[in-house]
Amino acid sequence: MTSERFLALVAAYGADARRWPEDERAAARAHAAAWPEAVADALAEADAADALLRASRVAHPTTVLRDRVMASAASTHFKRVRDEGRCWLDRLTLVLGAGWAAATCSGIVAGVMMATWLTTDAQVEAVLYQAFAPAVDDAEVLG
Amino acid sequence: MALIADPDGDLVRRVGQGDPAAIQAMVARKLPRMLALAHRMLGDVAEAEDVAQEVMLRAWKQAPVWTPGQARFDTWLHRVGLNLCYDRLRRRREVSTATPPDQADTGPAPDRGLLAADVGARVDAALTRLPDRQREAIVLCHYQELTNIEAAALMAISVEALESLLSRGRRALRLALADIRPGAEGA
Repeated sequence: MTSERFLALVAAYGADARRWPEDERAAARAHAAAWPEAVADALAEADAADALLRASRVAHPTTVLRDRVMASAASTHFKRVRDEGRCWLDRLTLVLGAGWAAATCSGIVAGVMMATWLTTDAQVEAVLYQAFAPAVDDAEVLG
Repeated sequence: MALIADPDGDLVRRVGQGDPAAIQAMVARKLPRMLALAHRMLGDVAEAEDVAQEVMLRAWKQAPVWTPGQARFDTWLHRVGLNLCYDRLRRRREVSTATPPDQADTGPAPDRGLLAADVGARVDAALTRLPDRQREAIVLCHYQELTNIEAAALMAISVEALESLLSRGRRALRLALADIRPGAEGA
């Protein structure tokens, strides 16, 4: 630890060794112990600044503020749980909706096939019937 | 990348699960710190309360998705708090006039003795008048007791630059309050 570095340390972090950077603390303490007269002025100046900083007063949380913050925690958690629930509900709706759509499509396809099959049978029967009815023209029956 | 040990890690995990006791512990542990940070950065209690409440609200949202080991939760809270403070300071500058009014000397009359409360109020006023970055450095290192490395990282500067800001800030405070004799602040 050089004298310059010690002075810079004290000017930045103050006279309280507990505030000095951990990796330099031991060396700075040793420096101060070895050169007490050389560092006395710098330490006194830093100590005076520390005392001023200690005099600063700061607001403490009021009960109203604490209550507001606690309420915000509860509502945030409730909203998250609700959103997660809604997400699952959305997925369930999607699955059920897809199943319903698939069933509907299957029904439509089956209906079309059934109609085609029945129509074909009816046409075949009509043709056969007309084949044995000489007074009627085939074109008239089949259109 | 090495995992960063976080003294709040377990608490954050429990808060993320909605544990009421953990939420209460988090409020007790962090709300005073965030209020102090905002109060000293802004110099206004009502604004500081709004900032502290907003920081805590963001903490509740962040806790369930917090990834442990990447950063300390306390550092993240400070980042959020500082950003909110700087938003407000920026807005103040935008609405203030181009030439700021002379600030009245709030010091006591020469014939009046100094009480501790007077000194405290004058120190707070002097802190408020410091350049933002010098005040931020002092608040983070001296009052919030972050390490120099944490404070420098939060401010996105080197440790050397942080020390320069600290030295200049402390010197400016001493000059602004030169009439206060040592020992008067504890009277």
